[in-house]
Amino acid sequence: MTRIVQSTVLPAPPEDVWNIIRDFNGHETWHPAVATSQIERGYLSDMVGCVRRFQLQDGAELREQLLALSDADHSFTYCLLETPIPLFNYIAHVRLLPVTDGNGTFWEWQAQFDVPEEQLDRMMTLVGDQIIQAGFQAVHTQLEADGPTNTPPHYAAQMQE
Amino acid sequence: MARVFVSSVIPATTDQVWDRIRDFNGLANWHPGMRESRIEDGRPADQVGCVRNFKLQSGETIRERLLGLSDFDNSCTYAILESPMPVTSYRATLSLLPVTLGNRCFAQWSAEFECAPNDLGAVTKRLSLDVFQSGFDALKRHFGG
Repeated sequence: MTRIVQSTVLPAPPEDVWNIIRDFNGHETWHPAVATSQIERGYLSDMVGCVRRFQLQDGAELREQLLALSDADHSFTYCLLETPIPLFNYIAHVRLLPVTDGNGTFWEWQAQFDVPEEQLDRMMTLVGDQIIQAGFQAVHTQLEADGPTNTPPHYAAQMQE
Repeated sequence: MARVFVSSVIPATTDQVWDRIRDFNGLANWHPGMRESRIEDGRPADQVGCVRNFKLQSGETIRERLLGLSDFDNSCTYAILESPMPVTSYRATLSLLPVTLGNRCFAQWSAEFECAPNDLGAVTKRLSLDVFQSGFDALKRHFGG
């Protein structure tokens, strides 16, 4: 089992980042590797269990299933069902945490998978650079293009009933 | 139940920051608001269940019990046994996560507690600014941020 954990800090609050990445069918709008994407069987893209079928810029087609989605935690988890790439038992998890000191976001993206030994380096680069880092960079660029946020800072204190 | 959450980014690796904050008896070594800490009953500071007894710069005493310490998660959870603050059922966690892009460290410090509504504003202000953010500011200064 190979595991990759990468993280970055973005200059906008989690709500703003979540607005960009929450839609399980929306990666075609923000992730540079994804050309087109559809949700199968007419399901809604925030229905846990839905499957996205998408095509990469090179034409490769993949299917991924949404395993968990939480607006409370700003997190989602998904797995690969079908891919022409030698990635097996692939499960990925994305979560956002507020950085109250500066009204930013800590974004962690991790993936675990099995891969044939001779393909390990190539797959580590693919997942680490072309999927995760490229995703971080794309959202960072989009936030900069959107300009300063109107979302107020996270209040340090919250009273809960 | 009230909750206070403060987080920051420290310009050092998770290991470096953890080295500085791991010692349950070492709060006074890195936090400007604390002094004169000792562990009660001569127990080791990384024995889960031990009690630290320390003073704020104001001279007030706080006693806290270590509930959990993880070198795997880089986290520390503790409960207040005695303090000058009007809180009960107080439990806090300080934890670190690596920011792999740029060799930095994401630090989060949160507390859950019961408190009379009239005291809530003052308590949350004191915790979030004087304790949590002040500790993070000291770490940022220490590591040159």
